[in-house]
Amino acid sequence: MLINPSTRRQFLTTAAASSVMTFGGTVPAFLRQAAAEGRDDGRILVVVEMAGGNDGLNTVVPYDNDAYRKARPKLAIPKSDVLTIKDGLGLNPALSGFADLLQDGRLTIVQGVGYPNPNRSHFESMDIWHTCQRKEDNRIDGWLGRYLAETTATDFSDPAALHIGEDQQPFALMSRDIRVSSIRSLDQFRLEGNDSKQFRQVVKELSDARRESGNDLLGFVQSSTSSAISASDRIEAAGMTYKPSSEYPDNGLAQKLKVVAKLVNSGLTTPFYYVRIDGFDTHSQQAAAHQSLLRQVSDSVTAFLNDMIAHGHGDRVLCLCFSEFGRRVNENASEGTDHGTAGPIFLAGQQVKPGLIGKHPSLSDLKDGDLQHHTDFRQVYATVLEHWLKCDSTSVLGKSYKTLPLIG
Amino acid sequence: MVNNEVFVNSHIDPAWAWSEFQPSDATPWNIRTAAHLYRRAGFGATKPQLTTAVEAGPIATAEVILNETQEPADYLVEMASLANSGLATGNPKQLSAWWAYRMLSTPAQLLEKTTLFWHGHFATSAEKVQDIELMLAQNNLLRKFALGNFAGLLQEISRDPAMLIYLDSATNRKAHPNENFAREIMELFCLGEGNYTEQDIRELARCFTGWEVKRHRFRFNRYQHDTTSKTILGKSGDFGGEEGVQIVVSQDSAAEFIVTKLVNFFVMDEPWPTSELVAPLAKELRENEMQIAPVVRRIMTSNLFYSPHAVGRKVRSPVEFAIGFLRTLEGSTNTFELSETMETLGQGLLYPPSVKGWDGGRTWINSSTLLGRSNLIQHLLNNNKTRFGRTSLPEFLSSANARSIDEIIELFEDCLFAVPVPSAAKDRIRQLAGNQQDPRQLNEAVHALCTLPEFQLC
Repeated sequence: MLINPSTRRQFLTTAAASSVMTFGGTVPAFLRQAAAEGRDDGRILVVVEMAGGNDGLNTVVPYDNDAYRKARPKLAIPKSDVLTIKDGLGLNPALSGFADLLQDGRLTIVQGVGYPNPNRSHFESMDIWHTCQRKEDNRIDGWLGRYLAETTATDFSDPAALHIGEDQQPFALMSRDIRVSSIRSLDQFRLEGNDSKQFRQVVKELSDARRESGNDLLGFVQSSTSSAISASDRIEAAGMTYKPSSEYPDNGLAQKLKVVAKLVNSGLTTPFYYVRIDGFDTHSQQAAAHQSLLRQVSDSVTAFLNDMIAHGHGDRVLCLCFSEFGRRVNENASEGTDHGTAGPIFLAGQQVKPGLIGKHPSLSDLKDGDLQHHTDFRQVYATVLEHWLKCDSTSVLGKSYKTLPLIG
Repeated sequence: MVNNEVFVNSHIDPAWAWSEFQPSDATPWNIRTAAHLYRRAGFGATKPQLTTAVEAGPIATAEVILNETQEPADYLVEMASLANSGLATGNPKQLSAWWAYRMLSTPAQLLEKTTLFWHGHFATSAEKVQDIELMLAQNNLLRKFALGNFAGLLQEISRDPAMLIYLDSATNRKAHPNENFAREIMELFCLGEGNYTEQDIRELARCFTGWEVKRHRFRFNRYQHDTTSKTILGKSGDFGGEEGVQIVVSQDSAAEFIVTKLVNFFVMDEPWPTSELVAPLAKELRENEMQIAPVVRRIMTSNLFYSPHAVGRKVRSPVEFAIGFLRTLEGSTNTFELSETMETLGQGLLYPPSVKGWDGGRTWINSSTLLGRSNLIQHLLNNNKTRFGRTSLPEFLSSANARSIDEIIELFEDCLFAVPVPSAAKDRIRQLAGNQQDPRQLNEAVHALCTLPEFQLC
């Protein structure tokens, strides 16, 4: 599956040369990265992981459905509260940001997403989503990691992908050959030096100077240092001049997405960002907690997207929000819900085909009291790979999956 | 300095490469070549150590390093007691800090460096194992065999509970042989891709059936062992796991595979050593019945090791970067914070990123890790827990006869730089240091020096 490094480099050199040529002498950095990946668009994918198992039924709500109301005597959201999408279906009232995006044609909701023989363990199911493989498959890498291993040139100095957060690095980004970085905050892109202008000036000047040593490795480190310092300058300058065009809510996810916005805006060439929000494991007293979590996701992603659009990056950004499983149809005795199966995925961006994709999973055709999926999550990945990242999804996913009309 | 240009892409003659190094005008034995030896064989040496080495000569110094692989008894007692207090916390990160401390303080640098090599080779992460005692046991195992017998190490690691847990092989039933460990032993630990078939993996996996981890210990469950005949790499018989490992390690490709990784680790990141280049060492390894020390000795006393193919041809790993900086300047610091920072730079001790270990070389470098490296130096210099020779940096430098900025730059260049510091850089750093009345200016100059691209190489 993996291209060996020399072939990969050859492939990339050709691809980069052919597409970069058309830009003449001054190629924006993000386009060079894209060209190295065989694209010319600087596209970015931001993955938002909703960890814990999001209750899909109370996210995209079949408010008119008797079976729903019966299964959820305490938790059912009434018609008067939902944000109506169409007859019989509405969004959780906390999702007002998503409702606006939907109206503006910037959100698509894929319903009933899951996979065969669902596993109800958080860790196992999350690993399945991250790797597209089951436990017995000897998992070593994630789906994005495999994509990176096939496409990333080793000579680019910005990280191939960035995970923002203090939590464990996502399996999705792992590969044997490409290392991605985790950063806790923008400080990790800040060159510290007692705030001395002279220090910065000296360091910049000395790293910009080319070395005539015949040592390839030194040349590589020199150009990487020069890019690192210029990235640090850009990010710092962006930090001073950059005004978020939309108000980011005061929550952890929003702050992470704000970091992403600053990095994108400063011209970092990194094409993948990964952020996580935890807490969706709502076994008891679900209603308030779930609403709060959904509001955080919806408000944060909406603020981020609007910010990106206002700064001219709207066409480059796609956000994918997913959770490892939905929850059981019947609520439990603690006014919560237990681990279930199929649920919705959200894709947000200017380039999505807006609306609802697929039917709401049937409430009359349950399996062991759980919703049955009709769309495999790997179809969503295949669509992102084929239609957003413009690559062959089969080698990344290990198999060919039917794509969905989600993008473009 | 020899013009490196002529060596690029040139063919390396294996006979020349592994012959004993004779200093010459082109490649003299001096303080900088001695520093190269100490950086590769360990993490670095202080100027007085290097002065002694220059007088002793390259071969004698290599012998000293190779003979210093037994730590004194009281040091071992101290290390064991520190490890125990780490165990009491249950937090494997304490063990990472312990190991960083050991790297900083050990008199047996080569042993620690080689232990780090095996940790990357038999990569096992505490993230998954989640058992600090098992991680310590594995670390001690790697150290015990670091310069010993590879076949013995492979046998031991095959029964190592941390390894088996890491590779999801803590149970292995005959009805469903677990191929994971069998695959990694062939692909990553011993032979390399192309030197076995999928059928060999399936057959070897059957040898390991009945191998389990129960209550943190390895045990053999004979009821789950498949006693029927297996055929591995052309040999047939009713093999158990130990015999299976022996068959794998007896392959000619095993010696070549291990020697290639040793040359990559001790000599050069690029290019990847060719079969032809490593053949004489592989032969030597086999003739020495897979004893590692003689091969390491050969590497560290070779022409190739001191040639422009090797000097400055490795990117410092985060551990080499941080521990090297401190050791060379007799530094000590809070190693818990230090090991956390090394993890954000891409090398968490006991937390390798995958079973493949660290790829090293260019993969250490990207914009966030480079800035992080520079910031690490800044933090060390401005942290009141960091001491140099039990005192402050200016006092330490002064006691090392580095008082003027020129003397300081020279000390750094001699001990810490594998490639020369450009003269333009020296000029600018001199300006930064000013008249040095202000220790902050000295810190700034040292910080700038250690942010130079040249400083990333070793």
